[in-house]
Amino acid sequence: MHVKKYLLKGLHRLQKGPGYTYKELLVWYCNNTNTHGPKRIICEGPKKKAMWFLITLLFASLVCWQWSEFIKTYLNWEVTVSLSLGFKTMDFPAVTICNASPFQYSKTKHLLMDLDELMKAVLERILAPEASYANTTSALNFTLWNNTPLVLIYEQDSSHPVVLDLFENIPSASVGSNAAQGRTCSAPGCKLAMKLCSLNGTVCTFRNFTSATQAVTEWYALQATNIFSQVSRQELVEMGYSAEHMILACLFGTEPCSYRNFTSIFYPNYGNCYIFNWGMTEKALPSANPGAEFGLKLILDIDQEDYVPFLTSTAGARLMLHEQRTYPFIKEEGIDAMSGTETSIGVLVDKLQRMGEPYSPCTMNGSDVAIRNLYSSYNTTYSSQACLHSCFQDHMIHNCSCGHFLYPLPPGARYCNNQDFPDWAYCYFNLWMSVTQRETCINMCKESCNDTQYTMTISMADWPSEASEDWIFHVLSQERDHSTNITLSRKGVVKLNIYFQEFNYRTIEESAANNIVWLLSNLGGQFGFWMGGSVLCLIEFGEIIIDFMWITIIKLVAFFKGLRQKQAQAAYTGPPPTVAELVEAHTNFGFQPDTTNPSPHVEAYPDEQTLPIPGTPPPNYDSLRLQPLDTIESDSEGDAI
Amino acid sequence: MAPGEKIKAKIKKNLPVRGPQAPTIKDLMHWYCMNTNTHGCRRIVVSRGRLRRLLWILFTLTAVALIIWQCALLIASFYTVSVSVKVHFQKLDFPAVTLCNINPYKYSVVRDLLADLDRETRKALKTLFGFSEVTSRKRRDTESENPAQKGIQPKFLNTIPLLAFNENEKGKARDFFTGKKRKVSGNIIHKSSDVMQVHKSKETVGFQLCPSNDTTNCATYTFSSGVNAIQEWYKLHYMNIMAQVPLEKKINMSYSAEELVVTCFFDGMSCDARNFTLFHHPMYGNCYTFNNRENETTLSTSMGGSEYGLQVILFIDEEEYNPFLVSSTGAKVLIHQQNEYPFIEDVGTEIETAMSTSIGMHLTESFKLSEPYSQCTEDGHDVPVENIYNASYSLQICLYSCFQTKMVEKCGCAQYSQPLPPNANYCNYQQNPDWMYCYYKLYQAFVNEELGCQTVCRETCRFKEWTQTSSLAQWPSEVSENWLLRVLTWDQRQQTNKQLNKTDLAKLLIFYKDLNQRSIVESPANSIEVLLSNFGGQLGLWMSCSVVCVIEIIEVFFIDFFSIIARRQWQKAKEWWARKKAHPGPEAPPSQQGQDNPTLYIDEDLPTFTSALHLPPALGAQVPGTPPPKYNTLHLERAFSNQLPDTQLTNEF
Repeated sequence: MHVKKYLLKGLHRLQKGPGYTYKELLVWYCNNTNTHGPKRIICEGPKKKAMWFLITLLFASLVCWQWSEFIKTYLNWEVTVSLSLGFKTMDFPAVTICNASPFQYSKTKHLLMDLDELMKAVLERILAPEASYANTTSALNFTLWNNTPLVLIYEQDSSHPVVLDLFENIPSASVGSNAAQGRTCSAPGCKLAMKLCSLNGTVCTFRNFTSATQAVTEWYALQATNIFSQVSRQELVEMGYSAEHMILACLFGTEPCSYRNFTSIFYPNYGNCYIFNWGMTEKALPSANPGAEFGLKLILDIDQEDYVPFLTSTAGARLMLHEQRTYPFIKEEGIDAMSGTETSIGVLVDKLQRMGEPYSPCTMNGSDVAIRNLYSSYNTTYSSQACLHSCFQDHMIHNCSCGHFLYPLPPGARYCNNQDFPDWAYCYFNLWMSVTQRETCINMCKESCNDTQYTMTISMADWPSEASEDWIFHVLSQERDHSTNITLSRKGVVKLNIYFQEFNYRTIEESAANNIVWLLSNLGGQFGFWMGGSVLCLIEFGEIIIDFMWITIIKLVAFFKGLRQKQAQAAYTGPPPTVAELVEAHTNFGFQPDTTNPSPHVEAYPDEQTLPIPGTPPPNYDSLRLQPLDTIESDSEGDAI
Repeated sequence: MAPGEKIKAKIKKNLPVRGPQAPTIKDLMHWYCMNTNTHGCRRIVVSRGRLRRLLWILFTLTAVALIIWQCALLIASFYTVSVSVKVHFQKLDFPAVTLCNINPYKYSVVRDLLADLDRETRKALKTLFGFSEVTSRKRRDTESENPAQKGIQPKFLNTIPLLAFNENEKGKARDFFTGKKRKVSGNIIHKSSDVMQVHKSKETVGFQLCPSNDTTNCATYTFSSGVNAIQEWYKLHYMNIMAQVPLEKKINMSYSAEELVVTCFFDGMSCDARNFTLFHHPMYGNCYTFNNRENETTLSTSMGGSEYGLQVILFIDEEEYNPFLVSSTGAKVLIHQQNEYPFIEDVGTEIETAMSTSIGMHLTESFKLSEPYSQCTEDGHDVPVENIYNASYSLQICLYSCFQTKMVEKCGCAQYSQPLPPNANYCNYQQNPDWMYCYYKLYQAFVNEELGCQTVCRETCRFKEWTQTSSLAQWPSEVSENWLLRVLTWDQRQQTNKQLNKTDLAKLLIFYKDLNQRSIVESPANSIEVLLSNFGGQLGLWMSCSVVCVIEIIEVFFIDFFSIIARRQWQKAKEWWARKKAHPGPEAPPSQQGQDNPTLYIDEDLPTFTSALHLPPALGAQVPGTPPPKYNTLHLERAFSNQLPDTQLTNEF
């Protein structure tokens, strides 16, 4: 009902024509608005009027400009960081420990026998070529060798390098006269290289090395990877160091712990690794006190005598501190601990917590990264390192159709080996050195929003001391092997102390620098500063605009109506009405041409055709009553401004 | 009317030149208070009762004071910074890595130059501690004491004698060379006894530095231990000798890159001596910088982990160590920016032989805001110290440059361990006999911040920092030692013929732990927009004021105020003149009250709705006798009705 009434009212208004003019409206607005400028425009002399008009205009544009600046700033999504530092009870980090050698040599000997023989022969060839000529190399297993042989490259003549296979008498590509001389290879410019072939040996590249040490180490590692990738995971775990063998003593704070508190994980580079306090099945252990007394104390046996001699040249334990439920990338982020020493590690937890999109480009849980996380099978959280490795393995499987031994396999894929994938080494090195591959991976992976780093202060001392050495080894030997003799040596034991420092956390937390409250208060501040306005003023302004449009609509309607009537009248025969008459008939009663009698009122138009309801309601705007309606006629004189 | 006149009249009509329309200051104030947009003033005028008015005056003044105070605080805190920590995950540029052997020169080559000095050092040791068999652990003792040389006057002990001081006998010292006691005058600077308590009865060892022609003003340095004294003394002479050797010769005496670097591996690729650039350091001899080659792109890492970083095996060659100059074995490594000067003696990390040292890095980049936010400098061009290093500005470079410049100024020659400023020479005895005394004096002043270097030099605004975590492991392992050393010996066959020992070698791994780069960026906490909007907030909160109000205040309180005063004075003067001219017929000034705006009078009644809102009185309520107002300004509500002369007419019916 109300709507109908309202619409009817609107219709009447339309028919009646505007009750007031633009100027009236403006004056009323200026007079009654709460913004500071406009009021002054209308109330003073013409000079000041002009000045105030300019000032108001200037300030209005200033406000608009500043508002746009603020909105731009807001849309930058800037952040502020807050840093807090101190000590609090925190979950002790997960500690992953590994032996530097992945496998026990005594248990892998049967696998590596052929390779080791070959390696020894290679070393002989390199170090004393003349002497080793006599030895026939018939006993060696050349299937390993032929796949990726080491060659000597003699580069005296750079345009025609002589390439010599270490075990072949005939140089592969050059003049024969150089062969005998090149074989000794004592001259400068003689280098070792690894020959990588594809497509049955038709396409070959040489991977050059400046030193023989690197060449043989890399060659051996490649061959060993090939061998180990054919062995089942179960066997590999058995070949590695067992927890019972490796962890001799463990103490967490005052609580004793043992190898049973460690979770085993197989890491291809380091064999069996053991994780303390991983938090996968049970709750993470908290530590409430700083200092070495309240941390984790470990004594490890790394059993250096049983290292695989050619695979690892460093001896010691490798350890890493990481957050609970994250995968330890111990090769990238681990540190070494030396045998025969006590390594004390003070820990400071360095946490960075970020807001995520749109504030910082990072990912909360990796779900929005296009790469499938291969480490998710370990039930670990996302990390950029996991993403990079998964990305590489993806590329590897795509390009070489087999997975690399060091990374987890997606379902349905197999690890590379020489038998099934003869080209894999060539393919692998091509991919590994490829810049585009790396860049794609870097671009696809995002860092994680919550980043925890453990800042470590490492110090070392000799352990055990000369005086205590004897009894310590006795006790440890007794406990592990139940023997009265010493079965351990300085070369094999590693002692570790891991504890919280006096300040154990440093948290950098992001928060939005410019939130909506900030934006509104600044917008309000600007508007208030220049013009003393508020949101209500904006609403006022909006109201005026609506009124403006309303007037325009009414005027237009009246105009078209007049036009139609004129046409209709033109169609009928009769005296054509004057323009003034027409306008008078259909527009505002307040309108009056200058020429007419200056005392108009409603009764002046008794035969008003377009007023169906006699009692027209007065305009709803109170404000319009400030000036009596009749005072508006003299538009022509109003140009005093 | 002539067109000119017409225009003139129009101008006069439209732009009348008039002063303020309020007759008195009180009226002006009243008018201002009633019509201003700020909130307090109006209350003062409108309030009834003295107490209330007083309270409103108080409130308004407090609000003004608060605004001024808060705005002052806002201005004072304008130049503050906010810090943000950003993490980027990206390909990282690998830093430059400078490697040095701790021993600067091969002892076998440099021995001829140092023969005299070494002999005298041995002699001093013999006199002081009663032994002379100073031979390196491994060195074949080729230099036997030549009896013929014994008669030669020792020149080094003469120039700067080593002295033994007895704490009990103040001012007396025993000369090692002559064994005679001699008088020591001047200030005795105890190099360590200030810090540490030494035994009272113990003899301390030291040396004395005197200006050549004035033995009364000597500076004497004593040390708590003979080891320090001998080393310091040796170093002084060593620097003196080395200062006279040309650079070419020194480079040849030191290690070559091929010798130092046995194997090198970066990011899966072999590298060799050609990837290193020579950098000659006065105290460390030949140092080699990796990844600092000119006209070559900086190497970068796209994977974290030791495999993708730099792996080198260094040949340390302990046999060639100078027994007196250096007492530790190993190498020094410094990770720095490409264009930065490696201050290896100050910030290097030492690595041990027979060990594998892994240095895992995290990159942190810091950006500070320069003037006016902090005192840092972008590139050092605004620091009044000439950069004598061929490297980009840093605080350390500035301090050393400053010291070296002062040294040249005061002592006439340059100190050996820093680069030469233009038109200067290194100090040596032949040309500058007093340089050591001068140097020590100056150095003391430098440490005590008396030279002004510390105040002049400023830190840089942007710097990269590599946070390092280094850990050690035994290398080579027991089982791999045998084959590894043989292959390494084969690799080194061109440089040395000897079988390498594991104590001659050190392995070093430098790598990024991950590819996260932290940037600590300072940004201005306030911009001018924020300041203005804060002003607006304050003004609006306390008084609902804006710039318009400020302009009003200026308009009313300055322009109108003074013009009213001026007019009053003028009128007074005119009246006085008129009175003086024509006889005093006291004529009341034309009353203006009748022409005032009706809103101006202070009505004693409570304000009605109409009067409070300053609405024009209802048509019927118009007081008939009031003459129409004359001041346009006072007619706020009827501002434009006076342009419509017929308004009054319509009002009437």
